[in-house]
Amino acid sequence: MPINNEFDVIIVGGGITGAGTARDCAMRGLKVLLIERHDIATGATGRNHGLLHSGARYALKDSESAEECIRENKILRSIASNCIEDTGGLFITLPEDADSGFGLDYQTKFIDACIKAGIDAQAISPEEAREKEPSVNPSLIGAVVVPDGSVDPFRLCAANVTDAAMHGAKILVYTEFLDFIREGDTILGVKVLDTRTGLKAEYRAPVTVNAAGIWGHGVAAKAGIHIGMYPAKGALLVFGHRVNNVVINRCRKSADGDILVPGDSVTVIGTTSTKVPFEECDNMEVTPEEVSLLLREGCALCPSLASTRILRAYAGVRPLVADDSDPSGRSISRGIVCLDHETRDGVKGFVSITGGKLMTYRLMAELATDAVCRKLGENKLCETAETPLPGSVDGRIETVSKRFEGKVSLGQKSAAGRQGDLVGKLRFDSEADRQLVCECENVTLAEIKYAVAELGVTSLMDLRRRTRVGMGTCQGTLCIRKAAKALAAALGDPSLEGKLAADYLDERWKGMRAVGWGDTLREMEFMQRVYKYEKPYSYDEI
Amino acid sequence: MKFDVVIIGGGLAGMTAATELQSSGLRCAVVAEGLSLHNASRSGFKAAGGTLLQGDRVISGRIENGRLTGVFTEKLGDTVLEADNFILASGKYFSRGLVADMDKVYEPLFGLDVQYEPDRSKWFDRSFAADQPFLDFGVKTEGLLALKDGVPVANLYPVGEVLAGISSASGDATVQIRNSALAAVKAIRRN
Repeated sequence: MPINNEFDVIIVGGGITGAGTARDCAMRGLKVLLIERHDIATGATGRNHGLLHSGARYALKDSESAEECIRENKILRSIASNCIEDTGGLFITLPEDADSGFGLDYQTKFIDACIKAGIDAQAISPEEAREKEPSVNPSLIGAVVVPDGSVDPFRLCAANVTDAAMHGAKILVYTEFLDFIREGDTILGVKVLDTRTGLKAEYRAPVTVNAAGIWGHGVAAKAGIHIGMYPAKGALLVFGHRVNNVVINRCRKSADGDILVPGDSVTVIGTTSTKVPFEECDNMEVTPEEVSLLLREGCALCPSLASTRILRAYAGVRPLVADDSDPSGRSISRGIVCLDHETRDGVKGFVSITGGKLMTYRLMAELATDAVCRKLGENKLCETAETPLPGSVDGRIETVSKRFEGKVSLGQKSAAGRQGDLVGKLRFDSEADRQLVCECENVTLAEIKYAVAELGVTSLMDLRRRTRVGMGTCQGTLCIRKAAKALAAALGDPSLEGKLAADYLDERWKGMRAVGWGDTLREMEFMQRVYKYEKPYSYDEI
Repeated sequence: MKFDVVIIGGGLAGMTAATELQSSGLRCAVVAEGLSLHNASRSGFKAAGGTLLQGDRVISGRIENGRLTGVFTEKLGDTVLEADNFILASGKYFSRGLVADMDKVYEPLFGLDVQYEPDRSKWFDRSFAADQPFLDFGVKTEGLLALKDGVPVANLYPVGEVLAGISSASGDATVQIRNSALAAVKAIRRN
């Protein structure tokens, strides 16, 4: 078995926290290895709202989280402009909220708390709210404007991974953590399995960082360490078009299904919160009860959702952590938890970074990297808050589009929006390269080739996370054969086409089954027909 | 307007039945929604003297004493389409011959009895490639006639994919669809 000693730090987990930590460590000059058992952003990172929180949601109950959020909100707007859409947000008050004690008095307290936390919150009239967001429930009695936005978590994670690699980090996806290499009370590295080749390997480094989200519970357990994690499932629904242009929240105590976020060509409602057993975290199904609840609450924010086709349902698991000081495990924190296991558990060379949320990933990465540097005796300063991510250095579509010769096509413009200033790497050498493979999201063959060559894509799900292939209205119904063919060719093995398409269709089917009625069921019948009906009707037979 | 047979739906099932019936001398009308793969057969039907209500759709019907006596369409307004016999060839979900709610599947025009699984979690197989139970749902029949509240509607013949057990989304069902249409044609001619 090969033994590799070339690293300063090993990071377990390729979600946004691990990706951010890899970037930060690499920017501070450390030799980094990141291992991820699936693709990047496959856990909670890719299974949330994609909401760029203003922090307003936390202003009243947790001012520390609110302050963290608004600080990171401003930082992300400057370093990750290509991953963010400045939609703005509304917190609305409905007549029934007033009846349950969350009327306009509550709104006043809410605004005060926001302003105290540094969040620019301003009350507007119901008329102004309806003008700003025509889809909002017209019976609202009050509204507050906050600096919410939407963020593409796939793109954000990919940008962090790309930048880490540009700073020398080694990124191994489809590489599963099996166990630690340990000597006495010191962690010396990790034993891993390449899930595609079945080969095992060992990697050594003076520090290992556990950034595996909810699965970090199991990683720590391999070191004999208990982290009191609380797997909280959150379910969400995606609607078939962009119903709203502004994030809509309910101005009341946080509850299920009270945030509606527009993102690219769709709208997402969420979320719920249910404790689930660890065994379920690998394969979560959205239940009919969760779907009903999300629909009911979503319609309260935006009544037209009732007649909008639901594309799919999905769920993620928040890696919440019980407070160490509370042995019952009931006191749950949503804040960031950075554990130095030497001081906490007497295990050297091991750090866990968990808790937190998508919004605060950069801060989490900074704290984890600080802990790593302390252990290594390094004292380089963190620069991730000031240094733009690849794609966002100058991501304005006008600038980026200048990189193309002649008239800029729809596919090129969309690619510029997705890949930002890295779009110059796309090669439009032939007419075929300019052709659209996915017509919902305007993905060209050139972008697919780029994703394979530069972004480590090996499946259609990987491709979807990098380019939005199959993420739009038709959910891949009309493009996935084309995309599978293009991907198989780009991977250099045309015989993969069928397998790539089948894996993708099963994944989509899972998301659709949970919402399989009405227009979604019509789409499901159509999808079955497209892929299973081989012989078209012949007019001569009639 | 009075016809011998009114056919609801202008797909493979509806046009097969309409063409056969019209050419055997019965006066037929087909109510067919918008664009279709079956424009060629629709032209043939018109040439044989059939009445084609293209781009219209049936919205409700009048069932009296166990018989369907007439149907109303979107465009004809109060004018009722009457006939001795009716063929329901409205298809499955995509063409809205069947409508699925969160907890039930129903036939939207006449409220006919539908065979389906009440537990929605059993409508689908987890694997996309496997046979999907929801594609087998459809209206119930007794001796070719549609059932409403367990009783046959004496002159209403469902044919094609609106029927339970027939779906072209799960593979080639051309033969089944044509045979169901021809069986109804035979029964109507016999009457």
